[in-house]
Amino acid sequence: MQLDTVKMLAKIKNTQWALADIDWEAPGAELVTGDPELYAKLKVFMADLMWIEHVGARAFAAMARKAPDDTLAEIYRYFHAEEQRHANVEMALMKRWGMLEGDADNPILPEPNINLRLVIDWLDTYSDEMPLEVLGSVIPSLEIALDGALCKFLLDTVKDPVCHAAFEKINEDEARHLGIGFHVLEVMGHGKLHQLLVKAAGNLLNPKLIIGIAAYLPLLNRMRDNLVKLGLKEERLYEAMNKYKRIGGRTEQGRRNPWFQIISHQSAMVVDRKSLYHVPVDALVRLTDYYPRRWLKATPTWVKGLTWKTAA
Amino acid sequence: MTQYLDKAPIAGRRSRKPARPAAVKVVEVLIVGAGFAGLGSAIQLRRAGINDIAIVERGTEVGGTWRDNQYPGAACDIPSNLYSFSFAQNPGWTRGYSGSREILAYIKGLARDHDLLPLIRFQHNVEALHFDGGEGVWTVTLTGREPIKARSVVMAQGPLSNAGFPSIRGIETFQGKKIHSARWDHAYDFSGKRVAVIGTGASAVQIIPELVKVADKVKVFQRTPGWVLPRLDFQSPEWVMALFAKLPVSQTAVREAMYWIHESMALGMIWNTPMTRALEILGTRFREAQVKDAWLRRQLTPDFRIGCKRVLMTNDYYPALQKANCELISWPIANISEKGIRSVEGLEHQVDCIVFATGFEVSKNGTPFPVHGLGGRDLNAEWSGGAQAYKSVQVSGYPNLYFTFGPNSGPGHNSALVYMESQIDYIVRSIGKLAAGKLKYVDVRADAQKAYNVDIQKRLAKTNWNSGCKSWYLSADGFNSTMFPGFATQFARQMAEFRERDYRLV
Repeated sequence: MQLDTVKMLAKIKNTQWALADIDWEAPGAELVTGDPELYAKLKVFMADLMWIEHVGARAFAAMARKAPDDTLAEIYRYFHAEEQRHANVEMALMKRWGMLEGDADNPILPEPNINLRLVIDWLDTYSDEMPLEVLGSVIPSLEIALDGALCKFLLDTVKDPVCHAAFEKINEDEARHLGIGFHVLEVMGHGKLHQLLVKAAGNLLNPKLIIGIAAYLPLLNRMRDNLVKLGLKEERLYEAMNKYKRIGGRTEQGRRNPWFQIISHQSAMVVDRKSLYHVPVDALVRLTDYYPRRWLKATPTWVKGLTWKTAA
Repeated sequence: MTQYLDKAPIAGRRSRKPARPAAVKVVEVLIVGAGFAGLGSAIQLRRAGINDIAIVERGTEVGGTWRDNQYPGAACDIPSNLYSFSFAQNPGWTRGYSGSREILAYIKGLARDHDLLPLIRFQHNVEALHFDGGEGVWTVTLTGREPIKARSVVMAQGPLSNAGFPSIRGIETFQGKKIHSARWDHAYDFSGKRVAVIGTGASAVQIIPELVKVADKVKVFQRTPGWVLPRLDFQSPEWVMALFAKLPVSQTAVREAMYWIHESMALGMIWNTPMTRALEILGTRFREAQVKDAWLRRQLTPDFRIGCKRVLMTNDYYPALQKANCELISWPIANISEKGIRSVEGLEHQVDCIVFATGFEVSKNGTPFPVHGLGGRDLNAEWSGGAQAYKSVQVSGYPNLYFTFGPNSGPGHNSALVYMESQIDYIVRSIGKLAAGKLKYVDVRADAQKAYNVDIQKRLAKTNWNSGCKSWYLSADGFNSTMFPGFATQFARQMAEFRERDYRLV
């Protein structure tokens, strides 16, 4: 069934919320700060989560430029801002739990790991040139991992009611992101199959995309390793990836989208520990540890937009 | 099919004979509005020997849009030597592109020098127009005043005369100061204030550099970035002013040169040609030269073809945005709250004042007040699907009614006054015909109007304005009843010919 994007845009506009709608001083922070083991784990997890949302936001900005119509472009414009809002909420939670370094009124942004930095660099340099088919197919897989595994894990682990109140709002946004994500994934499967395949093959040969894949794959593996270390059950990721395959492949158009097939297979390999896929990718993870920091570009200014503040 | 009576209503005819008081004077020409178009029409009508003129103006002084738009930095984006009447040149322009005060002074000078003030009835707000086909007379209903009857009416109220706050959720809850660019509050002191500017169009890019100089913080909320090109502005040297005063032909020559330079711009602005690409490259290079940060540059990069919307001519907008006390916010606005503006990324931007540089309610699908023509037909209803006229000045079924800046007369590349002069000449000729032929009215034929519009829309489909962007040139459903798809020279040529066969002369 085709989704009505005009109605969806109206719904998005009607369901906006702000950080000021959440009572950041409400009791419950001690449920995190009083548990040293949880606190230490969560500090790393929240920083990663915040960066993933922020990276996702930048991808939506690129997609807004490639949208086939004005309505979808406007939806992506909103999603870009909403993902930024989610990252801001996660930073505000970190502030609430005293996880941000530096001055209390002017805390320092947590440092992204090297793989995130490489993805940020790539997004900043090349994402605007990527066709919608690529980003439009990757984003739902990331969203579903975020929604189905990471956020659920967080809510199972953290009892602070403010965190739950914030994620209730985030999850409502994410449900709409997924709805549009899978709609676009299907739309990208329209057309003659051989043309779709030739186009996908052409894109795969694009050196800019190859660099992006080389930055993205080790990030996924590093994140998976980090999450498992934190106590996330691998089955959760497996379930999330299956969900992507199930929803994305529910229609013929979805299944005909070559990028859906590529990402489904790649996701299956990510969650399969025994897959040979991990040999080169894990090697890349180790290799990136030695990536010279001076080769990184200066942090783009869009990163500086992140804030824990409710008002400015 | 609706039949329109070519006669006055029966009741009107019955009552006409005994009730027709000799004292009720019918003005030969009534002009609505005392801006550029209204005053220009009056000057040219008088030159043609038509002296029985009344001008109704809802304000208390002349000037129209230039009287209303007195925000800091307000200026015209067309050189003053071209943005003035050819029949009333001003050798004393102090700058290449004059500010609104100087333009307003020029308009006031027009009224004074041509002795137009006695014709103007200030604080006369038109509520409706009704045409009596039996008498061939328009009745102009005014707010709180006796109506005026006129043989011909010139609509010179301007397309950009109704300013309104946009419909943003929660706008009524804001506790701070709200200012619209076209209704500037000069008493409000911006020093040390936190200010939000909504909009980044032609007015905003002029206001922002001025606000940044005085306000504590300026937050600019952008929806769609426009194309920005450098403006070659300069102070006019004394000797140039002296030369223009002593030798008017030299100013005419400069005006001609500017006219043809702007005409050549049509090749890139109106249609998609290699020159369009050249202009886009110029805009891109200008942005790259003025904006160093890559992300800010991306935020300011338009995603539509140059010319599709009004091109912004400014040298100081980009530098102003990069001042320490200025911030560009391209997140969508979620709502306005008591304390400021909430954007979708979740932040409440708290400010003391919101400046709405959000433009005007351009009448694309209607008239500013009810206009009833032959048999009571309603122009507002007829234009509900998009305004249409014959050569932009007349509408079939509404005899002796003339529009300045009527449907499809907007330029994207040249001075609006050049187009206006062509329209005024046409109106003067038509009104002259009415008087000379002792006619009751001249009414354009419906088939001629239809044929004209079929051609206009066909030509518009090939222009940059109709290439996919949203702009005030287009109605909500994408109909373009605003712009003329051609050179100013083509427009002037079309207006130079009065084709009697396209009219019913009664």
